[in-house]
Amino acid sequence: MKPDAFLSCQDIERYLGEDESRVHALRGVSLEVEPGSVHAVVGPSGCGKSTLLYILGLLDHPDGGFVMLEAEAVSHLPDDQLARRRNEFIGFIFQFHFLMEDFTAQENVMIPMRRLGRLPETAMRDRAAGLLEAVGLSDKLQRASRHLSGGEQQRVAIARALANDPRVVLADEPTGNLDTKNSRRAFELLQSIVHQNQMAMLLVTHNPAIAEACDWIHEMQDGRIIASHSRGLG
Amino acid sequence: MTPPLYIALRFLAHRKRALLLSLSGVVCGVAFFICMQAQTQGFAKYFIDSTLGSNGALIIRSRFEPRQINSIVPTKTSNTNVAHRQYFEGITNANEIMRVSRQFSNVVSCSPVLRGTLSARSGFENATVELYGIDPALHLQTTDLAHQIAGGSLYDFRNRPDSVIVGSRLAETLNVEVGDTVQLLSPGAQYRRFGVAAIAKSGVGAIDSTRVYCHARVAQTLLRKPYAASLIIYKLRDPDRAPALAQHFENLFQHDAASWQEREASTLHLFLTLRLSAAITVSLVILLAGFGIFNVLTMTVLSKMKEIAILRSMGYRRRDISAIFLWQGGMIAAVGSLVGCMAGAFLSWGVSKIPIHLRGLLSTDYFVVAWDWRHYVWAILLAMISVFIASYVPARRAAQLPPVTTLRGSSV
Repeated sequence: MKPDAFLSCQDIERYLGEDESRVHALRGVSLEVEPGSVHAVVGPSGCGKSTLLYILGLLDHPDGGFVMLEAEAVSHLPDDQLARRRNEFIGFIFQFHFLMEDFTAQENVMIPMRRLGRLPETAMRDRAAGLLEAVGLSDKLQRASRHLSGGEQQRVAIARALANDPRVVLADEPTGNLDTKNSRRAFELLQSIVHQNQMAMLLVTHNPAIAEACDWIHEMQDGRIIASHSRGLG
Repeated sequence: MTPPLYIALRFLAHRKRALLLSLSGVVCGVAFFICMQAQTQGFAKYFIDSTLGSNGALIIRSRFEPRQINSIVPTKTSNTNVAHRQYFEGITNANEIMRVSRQFSNVVSCSPVLRGTLSARSGFENATVELYGIDPALHLQTTDLAHQIAGGSLYDFRNRPDSVIVGSRLAETLNVEVGDTVQLLSPGAQYRRFGVAAIAKSGVGAIDSTRVYCHARVAQTLLRKPYAASLIIYKLRDPDRAPALAQHFENLFQHDAASWQEREASTLHLFLTLRLSAAITVSLVILLAGFGIFNVLTMTVLSKMKEIAILRSMGYRRRDISAIFLWQGGMIAAVGSLVGCMAGAFLSWGVSKIPIHLRGLLSTDYFVVAWDWRHYVWAILLAMISVFIASYVPARRAAQLPPVTTLRGSSV
């Protein structure tokens, strides 16, 4: 295991469902995500991509194996500790962006900052405005998120994921709900921010073009990573 | 402002209809509770004040002696069992008893009364009356008679031994007014004429419909009693301590002593029962309001599952999620209680202006309400408990929601 990995997992096992509907979703999955790298996880639907993402994001517990965040085993930590680490180290982006629809774009971006509680109100507003400006939404700070287009909402979700300056961004099909143009734009934006800030990103995608643009591609099938290769090695 | 409070405020602000529904339930519950308590306690307090003002907080009446029991060994205790007492009408040495009892810190003043039953006649009207022979100066110190005068003059009564003060309802029965003459029939079947100097209205039906006050010496002559006082009325600094003092006076003076609580026990129980009954009925309104809030918050949890999952993914703890919903309940309870208290006070004031011609146990021309801060505290407490219970279950449910289940709904 590389010592400089931000996020890694070893021999992850996960079962979903109970009794007869029980599915072996992850079978001994190991993965490492280093700073400044963008990883894509690809594979057919139901192969366990999202399950792996939730376990790496400390939202779900593995039945076997362990997750390490900055060289610290975290899988066994109590719920409050996991929540604190999610808030501090991990940014999530989902396919359906999941914004708080009653909140404005700026307020959505401020939600993780409020939990972290390190900035005063005005500083939080300024930072949220800066992040939204970076994703090209400086003119829509005060617009209710439900009145934004799909592409705009996803950009708000990207800004929100970056709100607490996380070490790792985990994205579950972040462009799956966007057209080709917006999809490419969103990905390029994420990629540039990750490289620029020496973050790490792991994204689940069905889009081959996006996967090809990542530094690493991990192919999953039936709960296993069957192949991992870096860009250019094929 | 904590993050859960901020989010709770935003959730509430965007569900105005549900918020208004929940709020109105709490406001109504609190307001009705306060108004009902103000009314029921109002009448009870009115009765207590009236009876204390007329009959005192404590009275000493018949002298008693222990009955002779065929026992060789005398009893060691000075307390005489009530069943083994022999009572003698009237008070012996009333002045000495009053002198000693004035030494007690709780005693404000005391007044001797010579009481007896007579027939009264005025024109063609007859009535049985309860004659109170009083020392005007002492009696005015001890009772609220001065404030109960509804017509006429106390000055006239004090200066004219052949005058009486007549209860207001008795005056109606006898059809007499101030300045008229009323005849009292002595046990020797001899009518004696008295001028009506004043009309007194205590507010207690049993007093106003029977009582006639006259001077003590006149009463002694009229009633032909060998003693000067048949009872001593006491005004106390703390009427709540009357039972203990009564017990002490019994032992000390060997005279029967009764506190106002003992004297009016049946009526006080009636008022207490009415108050409890009203409190239970109105508490149901608050419980219903709590049930409404439970429904509203449960619906909110169901409609905000997506938001709850995303908050959890952003690092919000289970207790943060729980706090969001508890804060919503707390704010509804706080605002509802505040508005409810104001509405309750306004309702109580409005009720006190409703005219009512009550001439029974109590005599009053308007609804009587009591202004007691404890009604407001109880109402707020009930609302808080009810809303907390109503909020706790949805809050706990929201906190226990596994975020992955909701997030998985969009991708596998």
